[in-house]
Amino acid sequence: MAVGLTLIFGVMRVVNFAHGDMMVWGMYLAFLLATRAGVDPYLSFVVCAAALFGLGVVVQRGLVDRIVDAPHEMQILLMLGVALVLENLALLAFGPEPARVRSPLVRLTWELGPLYVDVARLVTFAVAILLTLALWLFLFRTELGRLIRASADNHYGALVIGVDVRRIYATAFGVGAACVGAAGALVSPILPFQPVTGLSLSVTSFNIVIIGGMGSLVGAFIGGLLVSVAESLGAVFLTPSLKELFSFSLLILILLFRPAGLFGKRVP
Amino acid sequence: MSTRLTRRTFLTTAVAGAAVAGFPLPLRGQPRTFKIGAVHPVTGPLAEPGQACRLGAQMAVDAVNAAGGIKGKGGLRLELIVGDTQTKPENGRVEAERVVSQGAQMLLGSFDSGSTAAMVSVAQQRRVPFLVDIAAADPITANVAKSVREGQQKVQYVYRNFPTGSSFGRRAVQYFTEIFAEVKVTPKRVVLMYCNDLFGQSQSRGFLAAYKAARPAWTLLEDEVIAWPEPPSDLSTEVSKLKSLKPDVIAPITRPASAQLLLPEIRKQRVESLGIVGPGSPGLYEAGQLAALREDLEYVLTSVPWANFKNPKTNAVAEEYRKRSSGKTFDTNSGYSYDAIFVIADVLERAAKLDDPDAIVDALRKTNYTGGLMQYGGPVVFNEIGDNPNAIPTMIQILKQKPVAVWPKDAALEKFAFPRPKA
Amino acid sequence: MKALAAGVAVAVLLALPAVLSGYALTIFILIFFYAYLAQAWNILGGYAGQLSAGHAAFVGIGGYTSALLFERGVTPWIGMFVGAALAAALGAVIGYLGFRFGLRGFYFVLLTVAFAEVCRILASNIEAVGGAIGLYITFTGDPRQFQFRDQRAYYYIALAFMLLATGVVALLERRRLGIYLTAIREDETACEALGVDTFKYKMLAMVVSSFLTGLAGTFYAFQNFSLQPGAVFGIPFSVEIIIRAIIGGAGTLPGPILGSFILTPLAELSRQYFGQSGLHGAHLVVYGALLVAVVLFLPQGAYPFLRRLLRRRAA
Repeated sequence: MAVGLTLIFGVMRVVNFAHGDMMVWGMYLAFLLATRAGVDPYLSFVVCAAALFGLGVVVQRGLVDRIVDAPHEMQILLMLGVALVLENLALLAFGPEPARVRSPLVRLTWELGPLYVDVARLVTFAVAILLTLALWLFLFRTELGRLIRASADNHYGALVIGVDVRRIYATAFGVGAACVGAAGALVSPILPFQPVTGLSLSVTSFNIVIIGGMGSLVGAFIGGLLVSVAESLGAVFLTPSLKELFSFSLLILILLFRPAGLFGKRVP
Repeated sequence: MSTRLTRRTFLTTAVAGAAVAGFPLPLRGQPRTFKIGAVHPVTGPLAEPGQACRLGAQMAVDAVNAAGGIKGKGGLRLELIVGDTQTKPENGRVEAERVVSQGAQMLLGSFDSGSTAAMVSVAQQRRVPFLVDIAAADPITANVAKSVREGQQKVQYVYRNFPTGSSFGRRAVQYFTEIFAEVKVTPKRVVLMYCNDLFGQSQSRGFLAAYKAARPAWTLLEDEVIAWPEPPSDLSTEVSKLKSLKPDVIAPITRPASAQLLLPEIRKQRVESLGIVGPGSPGLYEAGQLAALREDLEYVLTSVPWANFKNPKTNAVAEEYRKRSSGKTFDTNSGYSYDAIFVIADVLERAAKLDDPDAIVDALRKTNYTGGLMQYGGPVVFNEIGDNPNAIPTMIQILKQKPVAVWPKDAALEKFAFPRPKA
Repeated sequence: MKALAAGVAVAVLLALPAVLSGYALTIFILIFFYAYLAQAWNILGGYAGQLSAGHAAFVGIGGYTSALLFERGVTPWIGMFVGAALAAALGAVIGYLGFRFGLRGFYFVLLTVAFAEVCRILASNIEAVGGAIGLYITFTGDPRQFQFRDQRAYYYIALAFMLLATGVVALLERRRLGIYLTAIREDETACEALGVDTFKYKMLAMVVSSFLTGLAGTFYAFQNFSLQPGAVFGIPFSVEIIIRAIIGGAGTLPGPILGSFILTPLAELSRQYFGQSGLHGAHLVVYGALLVAVVLFLPQGAYPFLRRLLRRRAA
């Protein structure tokens, strides 16, 4: 899921507090598709991605565009407002109880010697890698991707050479949101969710993105792995209820000593 | 309203509203309705149980009114003034003040212990009798009782018809002991697991304290308790830890969200045990949970406040509740809020007068109510702390995908299945 | 002119409790309380431009300290200063790390969030401070223990708090420190080039801001009579503080007060309108939408907008 945030942030420098809530909407979409139409979330993630792409473009065009030049804190506030709206629309639409999507894959485990491999997690992991690859190809091997990166590096430079920056930003935000939607659908069979899940998802993604490095896809990926390893180590060596302490301590250390993240290039 | 909402009309409405709220209620001496302020967290993280409480209370009010209101007081009708805490303590205070300003003569609430504590101070400051329908933290009533005993307060206005954290623990340990004795097993490795939030921590502390006090024949691994932050995003490490402890019995305290992660994970990692017997897992029995977890829930035992389904009235109310809530179980939250309104109605019948809060408190203290729909260990009474010692949990088990009361024996509708039958 | 208007406003606020109901009083107490917090935040976030999203941690430290001391027989009137001092100490640590390592913008935001979250996780796991169950304070109604039977006492204390913070900020504005802070916000590099010790001034802003915020913790604890880690250390609480300052106008003296006077009643009104109707959550949708609208159309905040409006009228 961190892949979505790193794209939005890296390209837009928009601090997106609505990220987690967008993801929750992706999960509910997968839930609806599974319960109403019987579509497995491992297929419906494509639909969720498309829907969230639309939402992303609307948010970017309608809201973020207007304050791209405003101070940072206004953007944070704007996305907080959007997060509040999204979270509570979900509450209105789906009610407060935790939901989870059933998929036949979730019941499968493979026994590999002493290890049990969870098929659902394996598939999620594989699709996440594929998505990251696709995103990388899109950003580095297509014309549109190049323009997106150019606009992120130098807003005015891009304007000067006649790039339609607004359209580029809308696409970037949309693609970021689409990743979030796909991620939401993919984890929906593994992770139970409710409307209030959004905030903790946002905070987790921030952790991952900062630790891995802003604007770096590989970084976001490795960051995700690092955070989960840190938390597991914490759970094993101390008590599991303190495991979040490890990811936050890691975050503080990274912020202080390598604020661009482990794989980030730019210095803030 | 056909007029457009202009800034001016909005302002006048707001000002008028504030003015109305500012005036004392002229009808206080001779009320045609008796207003009860019902404050629960209907939005925010605890919205689900909060909404259940509100609906339960509303149904009870409807039932009391349909049966002719408070007969001893000329058919006085009850009216609910609802409030929402969003699980923020400060809102507990604000909402309590508001419902009192709008004429509430008694308070009901509020599920989460933080907001309840804030409401307690309003009840004591403003002399408004407060019946806590749900909130388990012991200090809520104990603190007030202590300050009355020490002479800092004259009257205690706060009473609770719900098991406290410590009584939950005592009952759970008792049920464990009785159930193990019944089937003649003595588990040597019972592993306690809990969600590390207000609810989970108070339940686990109560359970551990009761275990230490009772020293039963079975053995709890006291130093190997596993807790996780709630809501968790992953419990695979916790379950690996559980597996390495080679548990005889797994004793989890879960919230609905963590149950959905924990139970499938236990199956996936193939943790063998005699069975899963929890000291408390609210919401485990909901239709949504059963639909999501299915066979993972089968044979799970857990100790929760439960309705007495041997009582035919309970079944009728539960059926109505299912309809009005679009399919939910009449459970701990809806049930205790429902009973609380009937306790209040009973108090109002007996109170010498209704315009004096102390007269209501007098009647409250003398409560001996037997019509409750929940499973009690006796009539609803209030002890010197203001708690009902007869508010007890019931051990329920998921059998054939339905939650069924299985212990204590006189509450049981079916015989429990433990150790868990092999498939 | 300005002084006159402020004087009249204070006089009205002093007289109000005579005519208000308990509920209206409670709302005003909340307005003052959040205005105070937003004003304290304003020193660091508004004037110095160092956006902290972890101010809840200071409220929590202040509240927990005085509540724990109270359990051991120390009156909160003393406890509140001990708590504030501890909050200021934490502020100094965060500030030292953040400013020494040159964290700016979003990175500083995350640093403050991370510290607040660490506080929350520790408080939920340490049994000696109540763990996740939190602390419950016995209501005695004894003024010597910072407890009052009469809401009006809380009203005047909250009002005094708000005026105190505003006084401190007004003083800062006139001193060299205030000017330096604004200059740091506008262009930190230029400031450094001119030989201003930006580190020192940012640290000062951080310490003053966290000290004042820590004081409020005691008020919170002894008005609500319970403390839970999630409620006082959580991100949503920090957000409540920031939103008020920014909507009112960050970096201006009346901004945080105005922001609290707008948002606190708004949150109440929208909760009342929709909460009754069973549309659970609708009020927060409105709250969020309004937030978006203000950001889009009044990006400077409400106070600068009002000021422009008044000037135009006058001209």
